[in-house]
Order: sequence, then C-alpha cells, then structure tokens
Amino acid sequence: MIRIVTLAPFDEGDIGFLTRTLYRSFGVGTEHLGDRALPKGAEGSDGRFDAVKLLDEAPPVRAFADDKVVYLTNVELAIPEGPLGEPPAWGFALQGGERALVSTFRFAPRGVTESSIEVFRRRLARECTHYVGHLWDLHHCYDPRCAMHPSWSPSLSSDPEHDLDAFCREKSERRIRLAKT
Amino acid sequence: MRPSGRRERDEKKETDPALEGNITSAEELQPSDRVVYPNQGVCRVAGLEQKDIAGQRLEFIKLTREEDGASVLVPLQKVASIGLRRVASAEQIEGVFHYLGASYDDPELDWKVRHRDNVERLIAGGVLGVAEVVKGLHSLARLRPLPAKERELYDSSRHLLVSEVSVSLGIPACIAEDYVDYALIPPAGVKLPLKPPPKPVELKGPPWKRKKPATAEDDELGLADLGLDLGALDSEEPVEGGEGEAAPAEGEAGGAADEVAAGAAPERGPRTRGGRGEKAKKKAKAAKPAPKKPAKKPSPRKKAPAAKAAKPAKKSPGGKKK
Repeated sequence: MIRIVTLAPFDEGDIGFLTRTLYRSFGVGTEHLGDRALPKGAEGSDGRFDAVKLLDEAPPVRAFADDKVVYLTNVELAIPEGPLGEPPAWGFALQGGERALVSTFRFAPRGVTESSIEVFRRRLARECTHYVGHLWDLHHCYDPRCAMHPSWSPSLSSDPEHDLDAFCREKSERRIRLAKT
Repeated sequence: MRPSGRRERDEKKETDPALEGNITSAEELQPSDRVVYPNQGVCRVAGLEQKDIAGQRLEFIKLTREEDGASVLVPLQKVASIGLRRVASAEQIEGVFHYLGASYDDPELDWKVRHRDNVERLIAGGVLGVAEVVKGLHSLARLRPLPAKERELYDSSRHLLVSEVSVSLGIPACIAEDYVDYALIPPAGVKLPLKPPPKPVELKGPPWKRKKPATAEDDELGLADLGLDLGALDSEEPVEGGEGEAAPAEGEAGGAADEVAAGAAPERGPRTRGGRGEKAKKKAKAAKPAPKKPAKKPSPRKKAPAAKAAKPAKKSPGGKKK
C-alpha cells in the first residue's frame, strides 16, 4: 500500500489524480492519510530544508510491512553538496526503504487554467512515481520518457511522461511480487 | 626480506589505478573490514570459517553483503585472484566523478567486444572500471536503446557504482545516484568544475582485442569471397626483399601465392572460390581473345540456332511436296 501524507495544503483533485496514477503505475492500493505539520527543525539558515533531515523528522504514520509512505511538501529542498556541486533536489527517498519526500517547489506554477493545472498534476504524479520507484529499488533510467529519468535532465520536456518504461515497470513488478506479504 | 615477486607486484599496484586497493592475501583482512566483491558489491568481513567439503577441510573467509545480508564464502587461496578490493577512497571517487563528467563520444559499437570489455572491467577494473561501464552504456543509450541484456548490465553496474559511492562518501544511496547523474546529465546551463579525469582502465588485452596482422588464416574467414585479397598484398613484400627474408610471412603468403599461381591474373581476386569469383573469371575470359578450348565450346551453341533456322528451310520444301 502507498500512503500519501501532505505537509502542506494540496487540492483534493490533485491528490485524487496522484492516487490513481500511482495505483496504475505500481498496481498497489494508494490512499491519502491526511495532513501533518511540517517539521521546522530541518530548515537551514538559507531558508531551504535539508531533505535528509526533513524526511528523518517527518511525523510518523501508521504503516504495515511493505507499505510505502510519500510525504508531499512545497518547500525548497537541499541535499549535501557533491564533488561536482549540488544537484537540484526535487525530492528524496530511502533507496529500497519505506519513506520518500517530494516537493512541488520546482514545478511550474499550478495556475488557474485547466491546462496549467493538468501540467501540474502530471508533474506531481511523475515525481511521486519517480521517488516511489526508488523505494522499490529502481535506479535512474536513461530514457527521457520514463518517470525514472533524472528530474533535472535537459532532455525532459516541460510536460514529461509520468509512466515507467518497460524495464523499470518489470523490475518494480518483480520487487513488489517478492515483497508482498 | 620480501620476495622480489611481491615487490614487483607492489610497484605495479602503485602505478596501476585499477589495482589500487586490491587485496592480495587473506592476511590483509580483519573482521568488520569493508571490501568490495566484484559484481556483488560492498561486503563486510565476518571472519574465518572452516568447512568439510568432499572429505577435505577447507578454510574460507566469510563475507556478508551489506545490501541484503547474504553470505559469501571465499576460499583463502582465491582471495588474491577474485579481484577483492577495499572500498574506494574519497579521492578515487572524486576521480570517478570527473571521469563521468568528461565528454565521451566514442562508445564501442561492436557488441561482442563491448560485452567482454564490460565484463572484464566490472571484475578487474575497480570503481573506475564500473564507472566506465556505466558511462559507456549511457553514451551508447543516447545513440540507440540498449538491448535487454545490456540494459540489465547497465542497471546492475549503476547499482554497484551507486552503492560504492554511497558507502565511500557516507551518504544515502539516493543522493549518491543524484551525484552520478548530475555528472552524467548536468542540468541545462550548468558547467561542471571538471578536472582532468583519471586514466581509463587498461584491459590486459584479451586475445580478441589484439589486432593480428593479415595472414593466410584470413582466407579461412572468407575474405577472398568478399573480394579482399590480403594474402596477395603480403606476397608482394617478400618478393621485393628477397626470398630469404621474412620467412614466416613468406610461408604464409607463399601458400596463398601458390594458389594464386594456378590462376592467370595475380593482381586482384585470383583466389576466388565459386560464386562471384567464377563470374569474374568468366568475364575475364570473355574479355580476352578467345583461347583454343573455349573456341570449341561456343560452336555447338552457335550451330544450334543455325540448325533451327535450317529446319524450316527443310520443312518448307517438304510441305510443298505434300
């Protein structure tokens, strides 16, 4: 089961679209658990939130074995700087673990028109699929049409696909079959 | 006093980046040490274990894979040969990132060579070898989708690289993967602060990689059928240098030249075996002034139409008789 926890106010329609997409992508039930308070302890001096710390301090929710929990937020995330610089953080997940974090900070503004809302929803679904994929031990994919392609890639269009490609889908299905209790 | 063999090995270890950190004997390992088992990932040394196998008492080093806790038993004698090595240092990892970020426009297109090279790199190339596999397949994937086997190899080598970077830098695997892809696919408008990358791993030169000079064996490959005559090119050199020089080359080419000698035209395509070669011979014969033998053969063919033409001439008078 995939459980969604919102750390900021989100539109019900957006969450509904997200739950349907995650169910279609992974074939496991998805539900919205409700809103929780954003842990302020993870906020850095520059106003950004340390993604690792934020996920660590996120309010725990009741979950069973093999459940995956996705926290949604709209704050800017930061990850530790690497040897070549700091990659832009769209979220964070514990590889093969149980909890992931997705931020809408870098998305195009939701706007009020149908098309902009649709683009926002599709992007939200893509990023959540991406980070839930990491929870199922998927790695990044070289195919820009796959949801596991890096989120900052210049190959991605402004409205990228939110589905997994055949390889990633098969791998996730294999993992889910093995993990099912 | 150390034996000279070990000294040589240590000198080589210092110069060859691929062998840096390689474990050459079981004595170097201590319980709770972290090592990398090729194709398996980061393992932790659990200790020594003895087992009775086929009536023999064998000693093993027990490793526990960190990813899933699986146990790996390595015979003591095999420790040096299986490519066990220490987890890459931070300096090595930095070199890997500079390698990943460097431009790469030359993926190997021959899948057999590529596959064997990749397998060898994963086993003996250290962390840089794993990065080379990831980068090579990533570059190839930009040109065309990878076949299923290579897609799996790409995924598993990426997994090995990410887990080693994660362990070496002490960061979560997801962030390690972001670092890897930040180097491979930098965001638009970002210029990476790259340094000269480390020297790529030099493979020991498996037999299939070595380029052999053209020999008479080429004939067995059917090059002659393709209209390529490497033997004829070789055969020219000994003639210029004299028969006594380059005996092996002459022997190889000479055999070919003997075959060539049977034909009339030694310059191009003399060793043809049927197919296009036969057609070429026929064309050559047709172009030449007609020799004695072929002059006889066409005559019945030419006669046949003449006979046919003659028949109606004979019939017509018969018809008139009727």
